[in-house]
Amino acid sequence: MTDEELMLAVGNGDQSAYQVIVKQHLKPVSYYAYRMLGNQKDTEDIAQEAFLKLWVNAGKWQAEKSKLSTWLHRITRNLCIDYLRRHKRIELQSEFQDEVEANQESRENPSDGSEAFQRAKQLELAIKGLPENQRSALILCHYSGFSNKEAAVIMNMSIKALESAIARAKRSLRKALSETSIEHQEIDDI
Amino acid sequence: MITFDEFSRLIVVHGANLAAWPSGLQRAGEDFIAGSEEARALMNDYLELEQQLDLLPVPAFTGLETRILGQPLPPHTVSPLDQLLDWLLPNSGFVSRLWQPVAGACLPLAFGIILGNFYSFGVAFESDEIEYWEDELSMLSLNNYSESDFNEG
Repeated sequence: MTDEELMLAVGNGDQSAYQVIVKQHLKPVSYYAYRMLGNQKDTEDIAQEAFLKLWVNAGKWQAEKSKLSTWLHRITRNLCIDYLRRHKRIELQSEFQDEVEANQESRENPSDGSEAFQRAKQLELAIKGLPENQRSALILCHYSGFSNKEAAVIMNMSIKALESAIARAKRSLRKALSETSIEHQEIDDI
Repeated sequence: MITFDEFSRLIVVHGANLAAWPSGLQRAGEDFIAGSEEARALMNDYLELEQQLDLLPVPAFTGLETRILGQPLPPHTVSPLDQLLDWLLPNSGFVSRLWQPVAGACLPLAFGIILGNFYSFGVAFESDEIEYWEDELSMLSLNNYSESDFNEG
């Protein structure tokens, strides 16, 4: 069955068609949400809500305007943005706490201070620190495999604006990685 | 021939893997890398970044599929407003796409004509002296304008 046939069936209340769509799209949707939020529990809530929205609004999807995966990622992105806006203050507090805990852990467990671990940690932090639109552009194009054009549709922006967001995101991450390398070089020198 | 600035823009926008670049730019990118040490270093930096990005783990989300498929789904009911909007802006059929919005736009006009025909909204057209336009016209026709003009003159 094509996406169009499946969505038509979902619009008519066919739960087996809904199951097929969930099985096909759950992984990319949940991975996208996780990379946006960095939190497993909230990612699961967002994924659940995204598929509920798909069920309720199945009749509104227009095959000639966008692919189903594009539409579903757009729904997920909007939910992630709402979530991030609601939890901005809480997130800042927990980030601070995470950082304190991470510092304590690295002091207690010196093996985690390896360069590879530090680089991964630094990269994760740098991604978390990116503005939402840069993070989303990076995730959609690098991880989710969307073309720049499709990602621009999901993010409701021009291709030029999207490319500019990707460029800024990658430059920031590259800078963060090179800073980690310099820090390790200095530690090795000492 | 592309410049270094153009190359560095392309590498962040399309990725460090030249095979993923738009076909028209691949050859230009390869030629530029072949002749520039700086370009090769930049490409290696971004290749490393992309490899590092690929290494970041994602949880397995076990049980999420069951949870989503197990959630109660509301019945499909369409609100009257949605029904109206669906009718006014149909997705298919050229004729219905054209005439339905036109019909929708004409509805307030038709409604206004009908309403105006039945209700006066407090505006009184009637007076004690002249009840209808026909009466007024017949009264006017009885006036002798020529006489009054002469008398005044």
